[in-house]
Amino acid sequence: MTTPSTLSDEELVQRCRAGDPDAWGELVERYSRYVYAICVKGFRLSEEDAEDVFQDVFARVFTRLDTLRDAAALRPWIAQLTRRRCLDAISGGGKEQSTAEIATAEATDMEEIDEAFAVREAVATLSDACRDILDRFFAQDQSYRTISEELGLPSGTIASRIARCLRKLRDELEGRNEAPEGSRRER
Amino acid sequence: MWDEAPGVAAQAQAIKERAAALAQADARAWEEALAALRDAADGAGGDAGRDFELEQKLERAAAAPLEIAALGADAAALAALAGERGDGTYRADAAAAAALAAGGARAAAHLVQVNLGVRAGDARLARARASEQAADEAAAHLLEPAR
Repeated sequence: MTTPSTLSDEELVQRCRAGDPDAWGELVERYSRYVYAICVKGFRLSEEDAEDVFQDVFARVFTRLDTLRDAAALRPWIAQLTRRRCLDAISGGGKEQSTAEIATAEATDMEEIDEAFAVREAVATLSDACRDILDRFFAQDQSYRTISEELGLPSGTIASRIARCLRKLRDELEGRNEAPEGSRRER
Repeated sequence: MWDEAPGVAAQAQAIKERAAALAQADARAWEEALAALRDAADGAGGDAGRDFELEQKLERAAAAPLEIAALGADAAALAALAGERGDGTYRADAAAAAALAAGGARAAAHLVQVNLGVRAGDARLARARASEQAADEAAAHLLEPAR
């Protein structure tokens, strides 16, 4: 089977529908942070409520995936399921949040969540070397010197390598990659 | 436009945000260390618990400048890259940025030495001095032709 992380959403849905358990695992792995972010960041749910919504959303995805007409529209479908369940949780819990407040907060945060998710998806398409160096610099706050020492690379090349990986990431995000990733591995 | 420019700008932004957070952490840690130093000066000598606490606070006060020194080296390296490969019109600005970053790294390394009260053999001080040297070299490389 193809490495799951390289599958498009459409392919992933097809494999799930065919009963591939690895594909189900990949779907949950791919969307768990997204669903959780909508719950916590978009709707300010408590951890407990977010956990309930999380379980319920993936249970619904599991039982209703056949009803999804456009397999490529998996993400907006999951987002819609999650939003509905979050609203149910808020109204059911007697929270004092007006619909207008929820709508305003949600619209702003959903943009950020979608953007973050798109970046995460794009990062997943990069080479291992690019993912590693971007993670070290931007997520782990490692200095060029530390990166250089740990990866055994010349210290003077680190900033340039990161810049090239960011360019690939931007190309991926803008959907205008001319060469498939992997044909020119960053090292 | 130089095709690495957006990636260099993104790294510069990340370094700037880290530096701002570290500057605040440094100020907080130093305030705490200063208060502990005053307490120690006011009290009678020989309180092992208080001495240990003071030592811990001085160590924390040195941790932020140590990271700031490393950031200075990174900022200088980034400026050197921009100066070498970017639009020549901005080479002097890149050199100025590298010189400022090197100054920051030097100041931070000095604070590490003072806060820790250590000698040249200390590993943390050696690391801070290495950052200072790397920043100096990056800046010198850019400043050289203008001298």
